[in-house]
Amino acid sequence: MRSGTDKLRTLNVPQRVQVELENGRPKAVRKLTAADRPTARPPDRRFIESVLECWRIDDEWWRQPISRQCYEVVLETGGRVVLFEDLVTGEWWMQQP
Amino acid sequence: MTSLSAVCCWIPLFALRCEEERRPGSSAHPWALVAPEDARHVWQVSALARAAGVKAGLTVSQAVGLCPTITLCEPDPVYYDAQFAKLLAALNAVSPVIEPAELGRVYVGMDGLEQLHGSPEEQIEMVQCVVRGAWALTASTENPVRTAGNHAPRTTHRLGWGKGKFVSWVAATRARPGSAVIVPPGEEGRFLASQPLAVLSLDPDTYRRLRQLGLRTLGDLTALPQEAVVSQFGRAGRRMWRLAAGALTESIEGRASPEPIVVALTFFTPVADLRMLVQTLEQLIERALKHPRRSGWRVRLVRARAELEHGASWVLEALLKEPSADRQRIIAPLKTRLEQAPPTKAVERLTVEFAAFAPGTTALQLFARDAGAAARAGRRRALRNATREIALRLRRPMLYRVVPVQPWSRIPERRYALVDYEL
Repeated sequence: MRSGTDKLRTLNVPQRVQVELENGRPKAVRKLTAADRPTARPPDRRFIESVLECWRIDDEWWRQPISRQCYEVVLETGGRVVLFEDLVTGEWWMQQP
Repeated sequence: MTSLSAVCCWIPLFALRCEEERRPGSSAHPWALVAPEDARHVWQVSALARAAGVKAGLTVSQAVGLCPTITLCEPDPVYYDAQFAKLLAALNAVSPVIEPAELGRVYVGMDGLEQLHGSPEEQIEMVQCVVRGAWALTASTENPVRTAGNHAPRTTHRLGWGKGKFVSWVAATRARPGSAVIVPPGEEGRFLASQPLAVLSLDPDTYRRLRQLGLRTLGDLTALPQEAVVSQFGRAGRRMWRLAAGALTESIEGRASPEPIVVALTFFTPVADLRMLVQTLEQLIERALKHPRRSGWRVRLVRARAELEHGASWVLEALLKEPSADRQRIIAPLKTRLEQAPPTKAVERLTVEFAAFAPGTTALQLFARDAGAAARAGRRRALRNATREIALRLRRPMLYRVVPVQPWSRIPERRYALVDYEL
């Protein structure tokens, strides 16, 4: 018997970001706040050092279609992340590789 | 300590070889070892049993059906670990960078040893001598009759010299028993291209898919664009491709031996009573064993020192034949010597020092059922205590377990999830 608080918590949930492109490939990335409010603080913009891989995911066309263009990139700070463009909504997201 | 250039020493069917050495004449009839974790299945099979069609992984009844004269033996994982530890200790004389990969397979780091041992050929020669010596030593200890009979030293080991673990391992798999294959620097790509896919140690599904794609060798794999392999097999595909192309060089990670552990006790009044000294020694050994630096190591050399009245001193040293982490085994030789040569005056301060160590349970007794179970029980107990403490402090457990939900999913956030950790 499990407790009432027991529930599944999703891991590696994508985070909404804004991506600047150059020749169709990501050049810089900026995290968005919940409401994406403009603040006095300059945006946390990080340049992309290199694009390691790119691939496309098309799945679940029979119900809620998922279509993503993914890029595994190395940020200028040395971190490795996956950026993907949701080709259905046009939004950009970031998650761990 | 790391090293890029490596010698891989591989002794296939290590457990079987150990048993053959321990039971002279066993190779004259078909026999096999049953699996340590599941006595219903066959683990390692002798040449005669293999010739009769018995293979590792078959059930015992299938093995008996195929070869009615087969002898099935219980495995002795602790003994195999001890034999492997002897081999590692011997190889430590060649290089301080030693990385055991599994029972019977070990990497020896060779960076910076050119001045000492010479060219790769000479390095191989050195390792050959050490391995043969270690095996002969094992044989003479375990089976003196056979050694006295001047049998040729065992040549079941294979050696491979190359840059990184993968290249040296593949080289070792290509070597004939008792010999070596050297892959000169810069030749890795050409050497690997002709090797079969099986050297990649893939899971059966990936292997099947690669075969279905018509790929047979590492060269076939690297002929494909890396992106194409990645898109089919993901991260594992990238690693596979880079290993096959010789573009990924994994260095050998040596394990540094811990600094000596010293514990001491100063008596309020000098003690001359032997029983009390023995008791104190036991307590000090117990304390030293609990030292965090000792974790994962067994004690090989122990010293007991005493500061005596009026400035004199006294010392005892014991080199344990079998390294141990057991208090009784460590104290036994000290106790005997203490009785034979007690301090000449009363003792003011007693010190115990663990001066040398051998790799312990976590590194070597991976195959020992009891050691594994004990380690798991210890981890569970520690985790249970930590959970209780966190729950008390934060009023919530705040500790989760990662559970696979759809690990095969192409959507990363659907693969794994967290659930509350409950013990």
